Amino acid sequence: MQIEVTLNEVVRQLEVEPFETLLAVLRREGMVSVRYGSDTGETGASAVLVDGRLVNTDCMLALQAHGHEIITLEWFNHAEMHPIQAAFVATGAMQSGYTTPAMILGTYELLQRIPDPSDEQIRDMLSGILDRETAYVKPVEAVHRAAAILRGDEVEPFGPLVLPPLTDGKNAAVYDPADPAPRASLAVPRLVPSKDVPTMSVVGKPEIKVDAVRLVKGNPAFTDDFSERGQLVAKVLRSPHAHARILDIDDSAATALPGVHAVIHYKNIERIKYASGGQSWPNPYPHDQVSFDNKVRHVGDRVAAVAADTLEIACEALRLIDVTYEVLPAVFDELEAMEPGAPVIHDEDDTTHITDPTRNLVHHIEAQRGDVEAGFAEADHVFEQTFRVHQVQQVPIENHIAVAWLDGDERMVVRTATQVPFHTRRMLAPLIGMEIKDIRVIKPRIGGGFGAKQEMLIEDIVAHLAIRTRRPVKLELTRAEEFMSSRTRHPQTITYKTGVNNDGTLVAQNMRLIGNTGPYGTHAYTVQTVSGLRGLTSYNAQNKRFDCDVVYTNIPVPGAYRGYGAPQAEFALESHLEDVARALGRDPIEFKRQSWVKVGDELDIAPHLGEHAVVDGVLEEYPKVMSNGIEECVAQGMRAIGWHRQDDPRWVSPADRPHIRRGLGFAFCMHGTAIPFLDMGGCSIKINDDGSFNMLIGATDLGTGADTVIGQIAAEVLGVALEDIKVYSSDTDVTPFDTGAYASSTTYISGTAAKLAAEKVRDRIKERAAKMLGVDEPCSIELRDKRAWAPDGSSVSLGDLALDSLHVEDHEQIMGTASHVSPDCPPPFAAQFVELEVDIATGQVTITKMVMAVDCGVAINPITASGQVEGGLAQALGYGHCEEFAFDENGLMINAELGPYKIYRADEMPAIETYLVQTMEDSGPFGAKAVAEIPKDGVAPAIRNAILAATGVAINDLPFTPQRVWTALQSS
Amino acid sequence: MPSVVEYHRPTNLDEALRLLSQPNTRALGGGTVVVPEARVHRDVGMSLVDLQDLGLEGITVAGTQLTVGSMVRLGDLMIDGRVPELIRDLARRELPSTLRNQATVGGTIALGSGDSVLLAGLLVHGAVVTLRQSGTQVPEDKPLAQSLSDCVGQGIVVSVTIETTGRGAIEGTGRTPADVPIVAAIARRSAEGVRVALTGVGPSPIEVLADDPTAGLEPPSDFRGTGDYRLHLAGVLTERAAASIQGAS
Repeated sequence: MQIEVTLNEVVRQLEVEPFETLLAVLRREGMVSVRYGSDTGETGASAVLVDGRLVNTDCMLALQAHGHEIITLEWFNHAEMHPIQAAFVATGAMQSGYTTPAMILGTYELLQRIPDPSDEQIRDMLSGILDRETAYVKPVEAVHRAAAILRGDEVEPFGPLVLPPLTDGKNAAVYDPADPAPRASLAVPRLVPSKDVPTMSVVGKPEIKVDAVRLVKGNPAFTDDFSERGQLVAKVLRSPHAHARILDIDDSAATALPGVHAVIHYKNIERIKYASGGQSWPNPYPHDQVSFDNKVRHVGDRVAAVAADTLEIACEALRLIDVTYEVLPAVFDELEAMEPGAPVIHDEDDTTHITDPTRNLVHHIEAQRGDVEAGFAEADHVFEQTFRVHQVQQVPIENHIAVAWLDGDERMVVRTATQVPFHTRRMLAPLIGMEIKDIRVIKPRIGGGFGAKQEMLIEDIVAHLAIRTRRPVKLELTRAEEFMSSRTRHPQTITYKTGVNNDGTLVAQNMRLIGNTGPYGTHAYTVQTVSGLRGLTSYNAQNKRFDCDVVYTNIPVPGAYRGYGAPQAEFALESHLEDVARALGRDPIEFKRQSWVKVGDELDIAPHLGEHAVVDGVLEEYPKVMSNGIEECVAQGMRAIGWHRQDDPRWVSPADRPHIRRGLGFAFCMHGTAIPFLDMGGCSIKINDDGSFNMLIGATDLGTGADTVIGQIAAEVLGVALEDIKVYSSDTDVTPFDTGAYASSTTYISGTAAKLAAEKVRDRIKERAAKMLGVDEPCSIELRDKRAWAPDGSSVSLGDLALDSLHVEDHEQIMGTASHVSPDCPPPFAAQFVELEVDIATGQVTITKMVMAVDCGVAINPITASGQVEGGLAQALGYGHCEEFAFDENGLMINAELGPYKIYRADEMPAIETYLVQTMEDSGPFGAKAVAEIPKDGVAPAIRNAILAATGVAINDLPFTPQRVWTALQSS
Repeated sequence: MPSVVEYHRPTNLDEALRLLSQPNTRALGGGTVVVPEARVHRDVGMSLVDLQDLGLEGITVAGTQLTVGSMVRLGDLMIDGRVPELIRDLARRELPSTLRNQATVGGTIALGSGDSVLLAGLLVHGAVVTLRQSGTQVPEDKPLAQSLSDCVGQGIVVSVTIETTGRGAIEGTGRTPADVPIVAAIARRSAEGVRVALTGVGPSPIEVLADDPTAGLEPPSDFRGTGDYRLHLAGVLTERAAASIQGAS
C-alpha cells in the first residue's frame, strides 16, 4: 500500500505493508535517530513529532501516518547544532544517547508551547521517554538551558560547584544543623577538592563528550544504524516451559516457508559446551551451555532460530516449527532447589565441575580469616538475621542486538552491542568452528549495558545463521525477550551472624549466602564471590567467614549486573549493622564508623575471595586501603540531607498528614576498582600531521563516557585539548585488547594504559622538540597548548613537529603503545543518604530525596562522573523500591513489559544530589578510582533504614512495595 | 500469515461499522494497545479499521455538560481548559506523555481497563457514552458503567458526555508516585452529593457507595496486591478522597 507523508518538510510517497510500524518504515528511509526499545511505546525511544505531537512510532502503523506531517531529529541537523542540541551537549545530558533524539524532539515541542517551562512541565514531557542512565537530572537541566538560550537569556558555563571541605580528610566533623548545604541546581555536581590533587589542564574539567555530536544529532552510531546489503532477520523460538526435554523438532514446514533461509536447533548445530559469561580466559566452570540443547531450563530458553527475508516471515516460521516436549517438574526457589527430591536441572553427562548436580549445587565457596566460632564464643552479644534479595533486570533501553556476516575474505564479522568484544571473539570461535584470527568483533555505540551485555548472549546465533545462509543476519531481542532471555541480578538468601562486644568492637562475622543462578552458571561463581568480598570487607571484624552455596533453578538466567554481587551483600550488611547498633543503643553511624575500614587497614578477606596475590605469593602483604574520603562524604551527606531532622518529631510526624511518617536512612558504601592481576587494557596513540593524535583503545564505552575520560587522560599528558585526541575504541581487528567494560575498571585500567602510551609519545616528542629547539635535555621540554616549550621560552608547535617527523628529517611515526594490569584494587567509598515518607495506612513508601557523597579519587570528568552517580542511584532506587520479576506458578514472567515491571520515570524521580569528594589515589591515573558501580550499593539499605527510622519496622526482604510494607506494619 | 493483513480508514460511521462486522477485525483509535496486540497474533491475520477520519475529535460544551469525541487524545483532554480539573489531572495520570498523545478517549472506554483512573473519573462525572452499534442507524446513549459491563463489542464509541460541575479528588496507592495505582479512589462532590469510583478492584472501574465502598467487592489478586489488601486500600483511599472534597461543591 502507498502512503503519502510529509517527512521533515518533504512530501514523500512510501510503499508500506499493513503490518509495518512507522518505526520500521522511518528507519528504512534512513531516519536512524528513531530507535527501537519495545513494541508497545513503553520506552519512548521511537518517538517523533507527528503533526507536532510527540508520539511513539513502535506502536503506530505506518498507514496511520498517511496524510500527516512527521518530524524526526534529522530535520534539525545542520552544520551548527540547534540550541536544544547544544544545551544537551553542554550539560552532559546524554550518556549512551540512545533516547536523546526523542528527548530533543520533546523539548522542541514543549518549548514551542511553553517558552519557560517549570520543572514539573519538563518532567511531564519526559515521562514518556525512559532513560536508564541519567536519572533525568541533566536532561531536565538541558531543557531549562535550551529554553533560556531560545529566550535570549545569558547562560553560565555548566560545571561543578566547588565546595570547601567540612573535615580534615581523616576525622569526623561535628554536624552543625545551622550550617545548611549551599543551594544550586541539582544537576550540578558538588565537588570537594583535595589539597593533595594538583591543578591540571584537561583532567578534572567538565569536558564535552567526544561522541557528543554523533549522539545529539542522532547520526548513525548504534548496531542497528548500519545495515549490510542482503541482510536477513533472525528470530529465536523460545521455550514456553520452565523445564522440559525436547523429544523432537520438526522444522520441515518452517524450512519450506518462502523467504526462510535457515532453521537451526539441537539437531543440526554441533553440541559444544561453553559458559556465556564474558570473562577472562579461561572462563570459570561449569561450562553448562550449548548453542541449542535438547533440554530447556527456563521459560524463554532457546529452542531454535530462524533466518528469513523479513521479520514477519521469521515470526511466521517460528510458528511453524513443531516441537515435542516432555515437560519436567521445575523449581524456582534457591532453598527448595537444594532439597532432596528437587528436580535435577543439569542431568546431562557432558557438563563437568558442578559441585553436586543431584542437589543442583553449582558451587560451594568458603573463605575464612581467624576463628569465627571462637569469636562468637567470646563476644558479649551475638546477632543473627536473614535477608532475601530478589531478581531484577538491567533494562538497557537498547535491547541486545547483533549482526554477523562473512566478509570478502570469508572472515566472520560481528557488529554487536557488547561490553566485551574481545571475550566475545574468543568465546565465539569454538562454537562456530572458526579460529580467533578469522573473527572480527566490532562494538559501535551501545544503548546501555549495565552488565547485561557482559555476556556472549546472541552472537553465536547470528554467526551460525550467517554461516548457514552466507548472508548477513541480524538478531534484535524484543523487550519481553530481554526480560526473560537476557540476564538479571542474582536472587540470594543471606544470613549474617555477628559477634559484638559491649564497646562496639566487631569480634566475629559469618556470612552465609545461598545464591540463585537460574539454570546456567555464567557469572555464578564470580558474582557470589564478590558478594562475599563486599559483604565482609567493609568492616574490620577480627574473625570472618564466608560460607556460600550457589544453586541452579529454573528462573530466567542471572548474570552480571552493575554492582556484581555488592548490592545484595551491602543491603544485608548495612541493614544488619543498623539493627545491631540500635539493639546496643548506639547511633548507627557512630557504631559503623568504629569499625569501617580506614586508610592503612588491610582488606583481609580479599585474597581469599578471588584476589589471590598474597595467597599465591605474588604479593608479600595483604592489600590495604590507601585513600579514603568517607568522613568527608559523611559530613557532606549529613548536611545535604538535613540529618538533624530525624530527631524532630514534628518533621517525622507532620501534623497535617497524620498517616505519614518521615524518615532518613544511611548506608556506608565501599566497592572495588577493577580486578587486580586480571583486568587489562591496551592503548595505542599516534601523532598526525597537524599535531593531533589518534588513540586506539580496546576499552568499551557503553555510554559511561569512557572514551571521553580516557581521551582526557591522554590529552593531559600530551599538553593538548581533548578535541585533538581522536578516540576509536573496541574493534578486535584494529584496537588493542581490553577485558571490557566491567568491574569498575575502565578509567583505572584502560585510563592508565592510555596514560602510559601517551607518556611514550610525549617522551619521543620531547626528544625531537629538544633537537629542533637546540635544547640538550629533552626532559626539560614541557608540552602545553599543543606546543613543545623549551626552558628559554622558545617553542615549536606539535603540528610543525609532526610534519618534521613525518616528512622532513629522521622520518618516523611518533607513536606509543602500552597496556596495564594493576596489582591493586583501591576501593571507592561513599555515604548514601535517603529521605522518604511512609504512608502507615497503605504501606506506600515515597522516596523524596537521595544524596550520595562519593570518594572516587579524582573525577577525571566531574560531569560524566556525576552522571554515573545519578544513573546508578536511579537504578538502585528501582532495586530497593519497586522493580521485581513476577512469575506464574509455571515460571512464566507475568510482568515482562515496562510498566508492569516498573522503572522510574522522569515525573516521579526524587531529588538527587551528588557530591564528588576528591582523594588522591596514587595507583590510579591522575588519582582516579572507580565510580560506576558504587552508586548501586547503598540505596536499598538506606531506604530500609529510613523506613525503620520512620516507623520502627525492620523489613528484611526486597523490594519495599506497598503491600510488603503494610504487612510488616500490621505485624508490628 | 502476516499479523495485520488489512488496514481501512473509513470516512463515515456506516462504512466503519460495516468493516468492523467482518471477522478478525478491530477498531483502531490511537493504536497504543491494538497495534501491539494485533502484531503478535499471527495465527489469524487481523484487519484494522482506523477511526481517525470519522470526525470524532471535537470537544463541545452545553450548559453544565461537556461532550468529548471518542478520538480526542488524552493529551488534548489534559490541556483543554473547558474540561473539569479532575478529568484533566486523570488524563495526565493515565499514561506517560508520548502514549497520552496517541491514546484516545474512545479507545480508553473500549478497553475498559480496571486500572484506568480516567474511566473512574468519567464515572463519577456521570458519564454517558454515545455508541453506534452495528445494524443500527441511530446512536444510542448508555451510562458509562453499563457500557463497561456490556463491553462495547463491535460498536463504535462516538463520544462521551459528562457533568462539569463539582469538585473532585484522587487518592491512590502505587509502587511509585506515577505508577498505575494498585487501587485508586476517585471522588467528586456536586450538588447531587458525593460519588466515588474505584480502580484496581475489578475488571473495570466501579462506582461504589462513599460510606460503604467495599460492599460486594471481590478484588482480584496479583503480584502487586492481594484481594484483601486491595479491599483495605479501597476503604482507606475512599475515606481520604471523600474527606479531601468535604465541603466542596
